[in-house]
Amino acid sequence: MLVLTRKLGESIAIDDNIKIVVVQIKGKQVRLGIKAPKETKIHREEVYQAIQDQNTEAVQASMSDIARLGEELKKK
Amino acid sequence: MKVKTTRFGELEVNPTDLITFAEGLFGFENLKKYFVVDPGDSTLILWLQSTEDEKVAFPIIEPKIFKPDYIAKLLPADLNGLELDSLQSAKLYSVLTIPGNVTEMSANLKAPIVINSAKKIGKQIVLQDSKLSVKYEMYKELKTYIVNFSSDVFRSTSYDSSITLETGVLKSTKTNTITLEAE
Repeated sequence: MLVLTRKLGESIAIDDNIKIVVVQIKGKQVRLGIKAPKETKIHREEVYQAIQDQNTEAVQASMSDIARLGEELKKK
Repeated sequence: MKVKTTRFGELEVNPTDLITFAEGLFGFENLKKYFVVDPGDSTLILWLQSTEDEKVAFPIIEPKIFKPDYIAKLLPADLNGLELDSLQSAKLYSVLTIPGNVTEMSANLKAPIVINSAKKIGKQIVLQDSKLSVKYEMYKELKTYIVNFSSDVFRSTSYDSSITLETGVLKSTKTNTITLEAE
């Protein structure tokens, strides 16, 4: 992994079209500004982790759970 | 072809019904081939069953059933690899989590599954909208839908995707389908 040191207001360029700026430094938090083409997907890493966890949980569903769900849903 | 599944036993699947997820699903990147199983029960839940791992099947449902105002805004990059010529062949599904306490079931609105039903290509897409939840509890809405409508109504609505093609922008006429945002 490439590690760079940057000061407040300084930036990093990735390719010709992506720019990451250090907007604010406050204690342990860093605010980053990201300038990228519209089609670039930018997400916090936790989002991917949460989706992976949800998928892993989703495949645990058993047919007996579904059968119970079917019964519950039918109750008026 | 015959496919073994832990939930549905051995199924006879027409090879033309196989859907390719070139990138897999998140956390299941190595599994690329799936098909949709409709158990025909009253829950309206379908299953995205892997052909490569008999244990892996994702319960899925069309989000318009429980959230009619759901919009999946896809960026041009999201459509890469889906080969969608028009949104008419796009089907939208949410992955469901069904815990032991079934009333706590939830749908992943943040990362829906989009399937090009004409070309049999699928992709799980992470939407940019930060307000969308990966665990949206929707038991009550699903129950309301099932109690209020007869199963015949489900069948006629579940294939109604009514999407129109506008110049430069693909947009659905109903809010519950897919919108392609373009400049």
